[in-house]
Amino acid sequence: MTGTAGSGTDRASFAASGRVFWLLPLALLGLPLVIGSYVQYIVNLTLVYVLVGVGFNVVLGNLGQLAFANAAFFGIGAYATGTLMYHLKAPFPLALCAGALAGGLAGALVALPALRGIRAFYLAIMTLAFGELMRWIYINADAVTLGSMGMQVPRPTLFGYVLVTDVDKYYVFLAVVTLLVAATANLLRSRVGRAFTAIRDNELAAASIGIPTARYMVLAFAWSGVVVGTAGALYAALVRHVSPEAFNLLELILHFGIVMVGGLASLAGSILGAAVLTAAPEMFRDLPGYEELLIAILMVAVLLLMPKGLASLLARASPLFRQRYFRD
Amino acid sequence: MLAQLLVSGFAQGCLYALVALAMTVVYRATTVVNFGHGDLVMAGAFCVYVLVVLAGADFFLSAALAVVLLFALGWAIQAGLIRPILAGPHLSLAMMAIAVGYALRGGARVLWGREVLPFPKVFPQGIIKLGPVILSPSDLIVAGVVAATLAVLAFVFLATPVGKTAQAVFQSPRGAALVGIDVGAFHRTMWGIGAAMAALGGILIAPITLLYPDMAASTLIRGFAAMTLGGFGSLPGAVLGGLLLGVGELLVGAYVSTKLIDITAYLIIILVLLLRPSGLLGRPAVVRV
Repeated sequence: MTGTAGSGTDRASFAASGRVFWLLPLALLGLPLVIGSYVQYIVNLTLVYVLVGVGFNVVLGNLGQLAFANAAFFGIGAYATGTLMYHLKAPFPLALCAGALAGGLAGALVALPALRGIRAFYLAIMTLAFGELMRWIYINADAVTLGSMGMQVPRPTLFGYVLVTDVDKYYVFLAVVTLLVAATANLLRSRVGRAFTAIRDNELAAASIGIPTARYMVLAFAWSGVVVGTAGALYAALVRHVSPEAFNLLELILHFGIVMVGGLASLAGSILGAAVLTAAPEMFRDLPGYEELLIAILMVAVLLLMPKGLASLLARASPLFRQRYFRD
Repeated sequence: MLAQLLVSGFAQGCLYALVALAMTVVYRATTVVNFGHGDLVMAGAFCVYVLVVLAGADFFLSAALAVVLLFALGWAIQAGLIRPILAGPHLSLAMMAIAVGYALRGGARVLWGREVLPFPKVFPQGIIKLGPVILSPSDLIVAGVVAATLAVLAFVFLATPVGKTAQAVFQSPRGAALVGIDVGAFHRTMWGIGAAMAALGGILIAPITLLYPDMAASTLIRGFAAMTLGGFGSLPGAVLGGLLLGVGELLVGAYVSTKLIDITAYLIIILVLLLRPSGLLGRPAVVRV
């Protein structure tokens, strides 16, 4: 089969083949039965970073913009959620939505300089400055954020039920992450996603065939912000402590590493990258420095040996995956 | 008061200028923006720390050795890591620079943990009074080193064929190779020079800011701010931007709020890019359609 969705039956079977991917979250439902509480915490953290990677990849991989405001989106989502839960005792679902919304607004804000024609390194430097500026705000707006000590987020509640253990949180996280990853996958496979790709490959050509590039650019940044802001909200609920240091330059490099090690513009790659880069450093948690060395070596190895990231391994192993999710 | 602020800001700005200058040399010669430059600065300072404090070597000998070592490191980074992916997208190059910097930082942390180290007091102590203005000898040394570096660079780029070579390689590596320029060797040498200048910056900065693996972040962003303000890719612009940033930080701190010192650089980056992306001395970028 050459074309992916030629005739009607092809299209139907193509759609059917995609349902296989829903087996993954279903299989993950049983995970807490076989792992201990510490591993459960790491798994929850991995889920958070899956969203971080998937969201970042929309801007970095699909839209092709060198924007480094991801740690800022993450922090804004976490602070929005944390603030609502700490000061206003808001229920977790409401705070979660607020985190997603705040992240989305921040994303749209960051897209504005991109619309002014700021690209490549200029955009990278500007977004870097934006991230550090946000960190300064967390430290100095201490009436709301409690300054550099950070704030203690209360236990998240869901419809009156308090999420105490990491297993409780796991099921909530799994649902949220599955929903957002599926939504992102659909978005990227739609007309909108193709417009992102067109802008990445040649912005002028895209504009010349009638794609409203400015609108799609804001949309991509905003969606990236929503996904990463939600990750921040989950992070606040998981770690229950939000402080400025959690969103510094090192955190940004971790996000960058997740996307690049997993594979640019690959959804599955981001999931894989998040799993590898969240789990691996835990082995070195008592040895300062080794975690950074490991991430650096992984990044260099991927760049030199496997430019399309871990996703290219997956594509080689599975034809179904290659057909749907891996394009050159 | 104002005179003192201007002079102190000038001294501080010389350090920023040196960082921005090194990044500009690498950018101008190779079109790669070195996101790992801050970590090279840190590595240079750590080299001197090891040689002076742990091995007990003479300071000037150690400094010279650190500069040579970092030159070799920069050369090796280009030859081993940057060159194989030079044909790839900007993103890969940015990531490689970041990964190298991250590895250096991890290495420093493996060796020294999370502590902050006092750098040996190598410069003469005491104060120099010039009317109402008080200077420290280290201010004069920093300004002298930066001025000397700038003079050497200006000579090399304006009065020798290196300047024309850089221009040719920047505009079209392929065209430069066709007329007989060894582009690979040129790139390697320029990375080496950039890293050697980073070492120089580290040696001058560390006595002021103390020494720790994470010193790279603020160094890098201030270097970017200086480059952006002066005009990305302009050598005189990098110096002017660095000096203005140094003076600006102190003026903002004295007349507005000390809390704003830390974000002056970020605000400068954002405002300049929004209002005048070409900076003070840069030429507006022309997009080829």
